[in-house]
Order: sequence, then C-alpha cells, then structure tokens
Amino acid sequence: MNKNMNQTTLHPYSRSVSIIGVGCTPFMYTVDNEETNGLTEGELFGYAALKAMEDAGVSPKDVDYYFHGEASPLNGSNYLTPNIQIGNWFGMKGKGSIHHSEACCTGYLAIEQAVNAVASGKYNCVLTGCVEFGDSVPAPFGPNDTVETPKHPYKREKMTMDRFLATTMWLYDRNYARSFIAPMNLIYDDVAEDYVRTRKITPEQMDDTLNWMAINNRRNAAKNPLALERKEFAEIAKEKGFDNVMDYMRSPYNPKMGDLLRMEGMERKCDGAAACIVCATEMIPQIARNLKHKPIEVLGIGSAACESTNPHFEIRATEEAVRQVYELTGVKPEELDLFFANDFIITSHLYAAEVAGYLPYGEGWKYICEGRTAYDGDKPINTNGGRTSFGHAHAASGLADVYEACMQMRGACGERQVKKLPRTTMLRGYGGSQNVCTIILRTKD
Amino acid sequence: MSIKLEKVVEKFYQNLEEGKITGRKCCACGAVEFPPVYACNECGCWDMEWVEIDGEATMHSIVLPAALSSKPDYKPLGKYAYGEVVLKEGSRLNAVVRGISKKNRAELLEKLPVKVKAGIYQRDGYKTVVFDLDE
Repeated sequence: MNKNMNQTTLHPYSRSVSIIGVGCTPFMYTVDNEETNGLTEGELFGYAALKAMEDAGVSPKDVDYYFHGEASPLNGSNYLTPNIQIGNWFGMKGKGSIHHSEACCTGYLAIEQAVNAVASGKYNCVLTGCVEFGDSVPAPFGPNDTVETPKHPYKREKMTMDRFLATTMWLYDRNYARSFIAPMNLIYDDVAEDYVRTRKITPEQMDDTLNWMAINNRRNAAKNPLALERKEFAEIAKEKGFDNVMDYMRSPYNPKMGDLLRMEGMERKCDGAAACIVCATEMIPQIARNLKHKPIEVLGIGSAACESTNPHFEIRATEEAVRQVYELTGVKPEELDLFFANDFIITSHLYAAEVAGYLPYGEGWKYICEGRTAYDGDKPINTNGGRTSFGHAHAASGLADVYEACMQMRGACGERQVKKLPRTTMLRGYGGSQNVCTIILRTKD
Repeated sequence: MSIKLEKVVEKFYQNLEEGKITGRKCCACGAVEFPPVYACNECGCWDMEWVEIDGEATMHSIVLPAALSSKPDYKPLGKYAYGEVVLKEGSRLNAVVRGISKKNRAELLEKLPVKVKAGIYQRDGYKTVVFDLDE
C-alpha cells in the first residue's frame, strides 16, 4: 500500500437497490441557440427529473425525497441552496431534499447518495438529479460585477474561459496546494506521464493514444443525438485539407496544451442536466407497476479521495475505489461488459480502464489505437462520447453516463448500441481534486 | 493527549519567514506529515510535535509546464518542472523542482529518482517551499 493511503472495507447494502428510470437533457451551449437561450436551472433539472419519472412509470407522488447535485451553484446560478429553489418544478413541493457538490464527481456520487438512502430503508424511492451551467453565467455580468450582482430573472451570457479558469482554483486547497503551485498544475499530465514511465511506451505512442481516445469518443458522440459535438474528426480533417485524420490530430489545429495533453483531449464544458429514479428492488412491483424494462441493480460503489498535494492522486484514489468495489461485490474484471470513466482529461479513460482490469495492464493503449474501445469495438468505453465530445456539464456528466449505461444495458441505444448486450457495467467517477468512486451496475433478471 | 485548537498553517508560514521548513511528527509512530496537519495519516494519532525538515528529498516523476500549467507569475521560478517528491522524512508531495527543462529532462528521466533539496521561495506576499535539483 502506498504511504499515507488509508483503506476502507465496505459492507453489503441492507437491501437491494435498483435504477428504474433515467432522464437526460441534450448537453449544449444554451446561450448559443435561440431555442435554448434563456433556459433556467429549474427547467433543465425539471426536464431530466420528469423524464426519469416517465421512464420509470412513476409519478412525483411516488418519489419520497430528492438529491440535487451541482458543482458550482453560486457561480452558475446565483444559488446557495439550489435544491430548494427548484423544488416546485417537478411536482415534489414540500418533500425533503439535499444539495451536494463534489465538482466533476457530483453525478456519480449522486448515485451513491441515493442508493445509501434507499438501502438504509429510510426511503423506498428517490430522485437523484444533477444540473450545471458550465458554459454560461447569470447576466448581466460585467468586468466589475461579482457573483452576487446579476439582476435579470433568467437571462444568461457566455462564461469566458478566464472566468472558468479562475473558478477552477476553488477546487484546490488554499492553505498548501495553491501555495505549492505543483498540486493544481499536475492534473493535466500526471496520469499520462505515469503511463509513459511505468508502461515504458514512448511520448509519441502516448500522443497517438491521446488522439485516438479523442477520435473514438467523437465516433461514439456522432451517433448520439444528446451529444454536444457530433462531427467526426475524419470529416473535420478532410475539410481542413488533411488526407488522414492522424495528420490533423497532430497538427496545430489540435495544439499541445499540456506537456503531453492536446486540446482535443480536454473537456467541452457546457450546460445540461440528468436524473435517475432509484428504488428498493423489492418495492418495484408496488411503486413502479408500469415499468417497461428490467431494473438495473446497483451492486456496489467504492469511494476514495486524494487531495491534490498527494502524488498521483487520481491513480491512487482509483486503485482504492476499484479495490473496494471488487472486494464488496465479488465481481471480476472479466465480467465487465462496458466501462465509463469521467475523462475531462482524456487520459483518465485509458488509465482507469487498466486499473479496473477492463483493459490489460500496459496494453490498453493498443486497444485504444486499434479502435477497440469505440462503441463498435469489443471493449467499449464512454459510448456516449465522453467529456471531450458528449460534453461536460460538470455535475450532470456522471448521471449522463449512468443514463447511457442504463440505455446500453437495455439495448436501447440504436446506432451506437454496443455489439454484446451489456449485463455488467463499471463507471469510474472522478473530480474535485479529487473525489473518486467506482459504481458497478448489473441488469436485474 | 487531547487535540488542541491551534494555528498550524499560520505557524508553518511564520516558520518559513524565519528560514525554517517545518512539518509535524507523530509522537506514536514517528511518521512526519508535510505539509503539517493535525493528525497522522499513518496511524491516526493526533499527538504531533513540530519538527524541522532536513530538506533532502528525491524526485520520482517529471512533468514540464505548458500552456495550461504555467502562469506569468511563475516566471521568476526560471526553468522548473512538477513532480512527485519524497522527503528524507518519508512524506510525499507534488512539488515544483527548479533546474529542469527540455534540455536535461531526458537525462534526468534515465536517472530517476534524482536528488533534490527543499528551499524557501518568495511568492507575492508570502514564502513557500520549492525544491532544487541536488545533483
């Protein structure tokens, strides 16, 4: 075990819990489109919540409690208690709720919160939803304004990259991490550097791998109507005069932004919401009498957190969270049919898949470069397009992955449906410098 | 020993002003926490005492700054890299190491881990800790 890493032993849930309904908005730049410009937090969250209820065949009256996740509610919506402000929008006025915020891991821990609440026996059926305005802020927002000043009731304007980067500093410990400089700057390249050094590949091979991850993500997103970016890189390359896509990916059109990381390996921050209905499996016949699909059972969730002064924080926390969930569930890596990793830094999806044993140690990069991790490959990852192409509405992204996982497990993904109907799926959540969790889902027979 | 409400962070930075790099040593197991915190992450004990850090350390990974990971106010650092640093006392942290550039990176990668030495560095309004190659 690594120095300074503590471990936790998980215990089985008190009763089985399943996801019975899912809902997701398109991930989008709301202010760029007349049809979506002016959409509010209540409208995005409410749509996802009601879609999830409709999907589950339940009404708001059947739902006991709701969880609300948002990474940056003050910055994005001028709210300190966002769960309260939108509580009237989906028919649950007066019911209890809580807001939680774990940055880019929020949407995965949204499942953890909901499952724990139901498994304990306190609630039978809960809603868990997340929303984020990652690309826009309440308006007007001038150079002398603060997060408190916007006065208009619904208008929003584009979030500048400068403002976004200023707020990302809030993800890092003020006392030491910001002062030491390195902790908050290693997020971009630490995992890629570690992979090159420990797997003994060349920086050029890593460059190709990073590019292929972006290409594969985009191939998946191209067939997903909810995705933000749907034009494949092969087509973009042709438009720019390149004969092959890798020449384009290595060109100044895709510049190096990190020591190894290129622009297309970074998230597309955007706006969106997603939600799930989580129910005690034994109560489904009473609560969701009209359920038209198989429930998806949550077998277990591992959790670990490594603050950013800790070396290789993403890797160490992923190792621990993976260890926990395998130990709890007894699931073996070879049983995984589908894998998701929050890849706002795209290297995550290679590294997490290897730590989970979904891809073989030291060989994962080859699978990626051979296209085997795209939706039509034998080891599909991030079939919705991942953070680089589906988009990253920070808190909502985790639940958008859960939405995609459930739809794939039902065989309902149309053109991007994976070849073998997945029975068991792992999702590796990550974010907030850094929360990590690992969720294993299995179709309930 | 009962936990005390004390200003650990302020003392750490005041010690830097006095030219001392300090951490907190566990009175039960001897592990050193750097940067200093209340409780030991090795054994969980909260009986800790202040110790001066020797400064000897090793660097185990190298990432060079780039567009996303550099800022104008880092310029006075000169040539530097980010990486995993392990103190002689055992603590591990992500740190800045000065004296590394594209020119010597390949040579240093062949030799990892390389020796580094902790130093006190003036930022805007306070002092912090960075490391220098000690080859």
